Amino acid sequence: MTSYSKEVLGDLAAGKLPWPQTRRIMSAYKDDDRFFKMVAVYQDRIAWKDPILLPVSDHLFICQSGDERITRCECGHSFGDYRKNWKLNAAINVRNTEEALREIYPNSDLPDPEWMEIREFICPQCGTLHEVEAAAPGYPIVHDFEPDLEGFYREWLGKPL
Amino acid sequence: MLDKPASALRLRERLLDSERLMEETGCYDGITELTLRNQDPLKFETLHTKLRAYCVSAREMARRISASPGVREVGEMVVAIYTPEGDAIALSNGIMVHVHTMSRFIKWMIKNGYEDNPRIREGDIFANNDAFIGTVQVPDVMDVVPIFHEDTLVGWAGAVCHELEAGGITPGGDVCLAQERFTEGLFVCAEKIGENDEIRRDYVIRCERNLRMPIYWVLDEKAKVASCIDMRESVKQLISEIGLDYWMKVSKEFIEEGRRAQLARTRQLTVPGIYRGHTFYGHVTAGKPGFQLLGDPDWLYNIPIEMEITTDGKITMDFEGTQPWGYHSMNCTPAGMDGGMFVTLTQHMNFEGLVNDGAWMATELKLPHGTWTNPDNEMVATATSWALLLPAYGVFQRLLSRSFVARGYVEEAFVGQVNSPMIEMGGESQYGTPFGMAHFECAAAGSGALAIKDGLDTAYVGWNPESDMGNIEVWEQSMPMVYIGRSIMPNSGGAGKYRGGCSFVSTWLINNTSHLRLHTSEHSSRVFDNGGMCGGYPAPTCQKHRAVRNSNIHELAAKGEPLAHAPGIDPHVSDYEKNIGGDHVVVEGPYITSPHKSGDIFSHSYNGGGGYGDVLERDPIKTAWDVENGFLTRQAADQVFGIVLKDDEDGYPVADIDATVERRAEMRKQRLAKAIPVADWIAKERGRVEKADFAPEVKKMYASAIKLSSRFTREFSEFWNVDARSIFMPGAKP
Repeated sequence: MTSYSKEVLGDLAAGKLPWPQTRRIMSAYKDDDRFFKMVAVYQDRIAWKDPILLPVSDHLFICQSGDERITRCECGHSFGDYRKNWKLNAAINVRNTEEALREIYPNSDLPDPEWMEIREFICPQCGTLHEVEAAAPGYPIVHDFEPDLEGFYREWLGKPL
Repeated sequence: MLDKPASALRLRERLLDSERLMEETGCYDGITELTLRNQDPLKFETLHTKLRAYCVSAREMARRISASPGVREVGEMVVAIYTPEGDAIALSNGIMVHVHTMSRFIKWMIKNGYEDNPRIREGDIFANNDAFIGTVQVPDVMDVVPIFHEDTLVGWAGAVCHELEAGGITPGGDVCLAQERFTEGLFVCAEKIGENDEIRRDYVIRCERNLRMPIYWVLDEKAKVASCIDMRESVKQLISEIGLDYWMKVSKEFIEEGRRAQLARTRQLTVPGIYRGHTFYGHVTAGKPGFQLLGDPDWLYNIPIEMEITTDGKITMDFEGTQPWGYHSMNCTPAGMDGGMFVTLTQHMNFEGLVNDGAWMATELKLPHGTWTNPDNEMVATATSWALLLPAYGVFQRLLSRSFVARGYVEEAFVGQVNSPMIEMGGESQYGTPFGMAHFECAAAGSGALAIKDGLDTAYVGWNPESDMGNIEVWEQSMPMVYIGRSIMPNSGGAGKYRGGCSFVSTWLINNTSHLRLHTSEHSSRVFDNGGMCGGYPAPTCQKHRAVRNSNIHELAAKGEPLAHAPGIDPHVSDYEKNIGGDHVVVEGPYITSPHKSGDIFSHSYNGGGGYGDVLERDPIKTAWDVENGFLTRQAADQVFGIVLKDDEDGYPVADIDATVERRAEMRKQRLAKAIPVADWIAKERGRVEKADFAPEVKKMYASAIKLSSRFTREFSEFWNVDARSIFMPGAKP
């Protein structure tokens, strides 16, 4: 069975693994023990102690915090119950003027701010930019991911939550 | 269980029987056990490898017959082998989107009584390019031939080429001006076009008299038929070796194995749950010549997608809430939507094992009736359906990628594909003859970023995994334009920790013609039609077209003066305007205008991919390399990524790490200072929503989505705590 060390997976997640090795991992049969090893890699990376249950973005994790399961930023900030949309507890910066859009797109033709705005969802504690939406004005904020956490652990991982 | 090797049942009954068995058992054709695989797995795998080799070899041979640079250079072709009921067993590389659309074509003929009339016999050749029967758009012309063993139909061989000219109201294949089916070009609606392995002369004459450049279509037909005959003879030889009974059983077990492999791979690579995303597309045609006023000329399309992965591994994609079909060429049929699903799965999940229609059977598409994904009017045009299809499946790729990230397979996460704006042309060629052609260098866009590295520059499109822009010299042989530039577009990938792949822009001098019609399609206006992921930004994909009529380029060249080879990086004044005299034109949306002539200049830009991750985490050293090589500008490095560059002693950019750390800390502070709590923003925006204080096209988009979808209405109303119907459809009956 294919398997990689935590060190290799840590370098892979950090984008530090040399390309030939990365390419071999991409082409090889997948390593079935990846999930818990990758969780361990992330767990080593963070300063807080709550056990990670599921990574959901580059720096966002669902974790077990006491009796609750919450979405937490790598910096430790809690976005609340994992079943709720974490974006609703984020800070937001909306780019809906030519001047604000030009900061990110210095050379290109720009969207018409009457038709589209760029929404940046930011951790209010550390300032990490967790997600960007490009949406028409008035479009509801998207709830990106509602994992079936119970089903995932019970039926696919074969382990209790 | 299937145990009817040389079934006496008629094809239609066999097809209905197969569908019933799938319904009853949940397994393809009722195959609940992979008996042959279990008996001799090596033989099983070897046979499938042989079938795949037949396909790959037939396609490569056929490409040498084609005259079209689209097929020869860019590889716009795919071939496959099917069961008698029309399910794909094995396929070649190439434009795999059409493997399943051909399946629909075969099934359509069976269900429509083709066994009786026009009859299905050894040596027959059937062709189709009707998207409501089974293809994506009119230039995707498919040919299939039946495979007989003695008197029993034991399978089909099929091939598709994307034609560079389809004879529509505007030249090329992606007929941008088509607003109804009747202006899309030459339709071949599941027709028998040949017998005894020979294409009928009257069919060839019809092609020759209805196309601007029949040499492409007709020689592609010969290429496809040759590939089908090649596969057919290989399969017949194989059957003579393994026996008919074994063939009939194993060919179906391959598909059931493919279905099971897809489910298993979903369970292996993803996390069950509900994933959501959206993108948009802007269609701006007001005032453009040629468009009939059949509907609103300007239209903003929302494309929301909800993907569910269940614990049994099934993937369901639901397009509820999207826009209705329209009087434009961007509508799609369920066949096209299926094709998009198939080609995406083959790239992202089926990278090992048996790849065939089984993968598609492990998924489900929910395509709301009346929307652009499933029009309730078969007269609509679908000539540029990719305009909405590609952004939609880019969303699918991001949704899948979020599941890969959650499962820990970060190396598989990919921000997705972008649209491939086409340029098409016709008129008088450089040889003084009539011509028409689609330029296929669009088959090499920038890809979305990965979760571990930057996207591919000028090297990926979703619809052809063998992306290739083709050689300049070959394109120049086919059109009355010569390249004066083909350049990387700096900053054209979406920004992020890992940037999207960059696109390129071409600049041409129109040459040796007095009449060149140039048209473009699938280029979103006013909105980006892609997204970033995990903090990455979308790529800037609403570029305008720039041209110079009556340029003084020959005078400049004679004097040895500098020319312009790309639009440059000044968003307000292009290098063409700075360096070249003449009548400068900037056009938003599809480029539809009066003909060009020798001495004019035209430019066309393609799309980069979306970014991944927070821009403030981008590697400064990689960024210095990007600036040195023209993928990013110094301004972007500083302003977008917070990377301070200085020059080394030779004048090359190098990252100042300490200054970068300082600058980024300051940018992070500014970011927090500018941002407000989302709850505050919602409270403020609600007032705007209540007043419907939006552009007319935005209001129309909401009204259309509300009219077609109760779920969209409910979710919109709940999010803003308003009554969406009363705001956007005042006076409408409940």
